[in-house]
Order: sequence, then structure tokens, then C-alpha cells
Amino acid sequence: MGNIMSVSFAPECTESKNKYDDCFNKWYTEKFLQGKSLQNECTEFWDTYITCVNAALVKQKVKPMLDKAREDQPFTSEEIRASAGTEKK
Amino acid sequence: MVQFIEHSHLYNHDFSTASLAYLNRYPNPYAKHVKSSDTLEHCIDEDGRLRTTRLVVKTGRLPQFIKPFLGTSLDSWIIEKSVIDPKGKILLSYTANVDHRKLLKVEEYLKYSCEDGINTLVESKVKFSSNFVGLKQKIEQWSHNRFLSNISNSREGLKFVMNRLKERGGLWYRERDTSSLL
Repeated sequence: MGNIMSVSFAPECTESKNKYDDCFNKWYTEKFLQGKSLQNECTEFWDTYITCVNAALVKQKVKPMLDKAREDQPFTSEEIRASAGTEKK
Repeated sequence: MVQFIEHSHLYNHDFSTASLAYLNRYPNPYAKHVKSSDTLEHCIDEDGRLRTTRLVVKTGRLPQFIKPFLGTSLDSWIIEKSVIDPKGKILLSYTANVDHRKLLKVEEYLKYSCEDGINTLVESKVKFSSNFVGLKQKIEQWSHNRFLSNISNSREGLKFVMNRLKERGGLWYRERDTSSLL
């Protein structure tokens, strides 16, 4: 089967990204959605991956704009609850 | 005048498959313009929902009349924020371009919901806004039209990924279950 994982914007991070994604997808399907785990159990893979990504982002001209966009808060807790139709705590 | 598009589609896949497909929708044969996707942040909030921030880079497919204003880089950086409620079986997602926001800001709000346990409804609202004096209307209209013509590609891409997951029995890397990833 061909490579169905997506690549990182930074080629040097793709390998660690794939390891993390693989672990994440398994955790997401088998534990998180099943209500068996509320902790992302892929921290080891995550630390390597995000360290690589952050180092690569620093070199990008678009980084200040990205940082600004990351501050966007598109969903408030109230909106999510209303959308989910779940009662407030 | 800001432009909007609203559309929705019902996929005959459960929430587990649909949400996993959303998270893994790139690459697919219908999204060849997508170069990469990266997770930048993730956490589980106080209500047990998974919140994720991702970065998607697409190759710019822009009209000639915009290109002179963009300089050399034609890549488009997209931020994606999502919230997944595993109990309510709801996924909310927000995507917006990161750069060239004055020229054009495209924001898409998606909601994945599954009420019957079998099918997943995906509702989308897209907003196009430009602050570019002179070309504002032309840019908004162009991107609106472009988005409309791309909707079927997005659907086919998502279906493709859903079907691929379904073939695996809904499990991620079923054939590799013996590995000790977790």
C-alpha cells in the first residue's frame, strides 16, 4: 500500500509526523472515541515531531501571520454546547 | 459585499469513520493542490473534547489579476482549528487562510454530526471577505465561484478517505495491529 500519510511542510519533519499521526489515529479510534482515554498517549512521538515543526516554522516568513491566526478563537464553549445540543454543566 | 456559501451533505458513514476521515483527509486524489498538513497544538479541554490546531499548505491557484500583488510565494497557508466531542458525536472545524488576509479572507465553518449512529451530516458555512480597494468585489466573486466549483472535489475526496478507512474495518492500520504503537 502506498504512502497514505500526508507530509509535513518541512520535509525533515515528515518521518516524525508519520510516527505521531499513526499513533494518534490509533489512539483516537480505539481509545478516545470509545471513551477509554482522555489523555493523548502519543506524547513521546509528539515531542519529537513538534520540536521539529517549531524549529522549521521559525525560518518561515509567514510565521508572524501564523502566530496571529493561531490566536483566533472561532469556538466559544457556549457555542459548542449550543451546537452539540448538550446541556450546560 | 461579503460573500457566503452554505452547503451540506450526508455521508453514509458513522461518526467514527467520518471524523477520522476528516483528520486524515489529505492526501487524497481529489486534493492534489494540498502539499502538507501539520498538527501544531492539541489538547483535551475540561469537557473532554479534543481541540486541535493544524497547518495546511496548499499551492496557490490564483487568478492572473491577483498574482501581481502576492510577490513570489504562491503557496497558501491555512490554519485549521477543530473541536471533537466524542460523546455528543460532534466535530466543529474552522479553517481560514493565514496570509494575504487583506486581499482575501476565506473562512469555513464545518459541523459534523451524527444523530442516527449510521450517517454523518456535514454542514458548511463559508465566508469570503476582501479589504482590497478596487478589486474587492472581483476577488470575492472569483473566490466564491472557485469554491463552489470545488465543493464536489472536497466531497469526493472525503468519501474516498472514508471508504478507504471503511475497507480497513474502521480501524487504523488494522494490518499493523500487532505493532506496539500504544
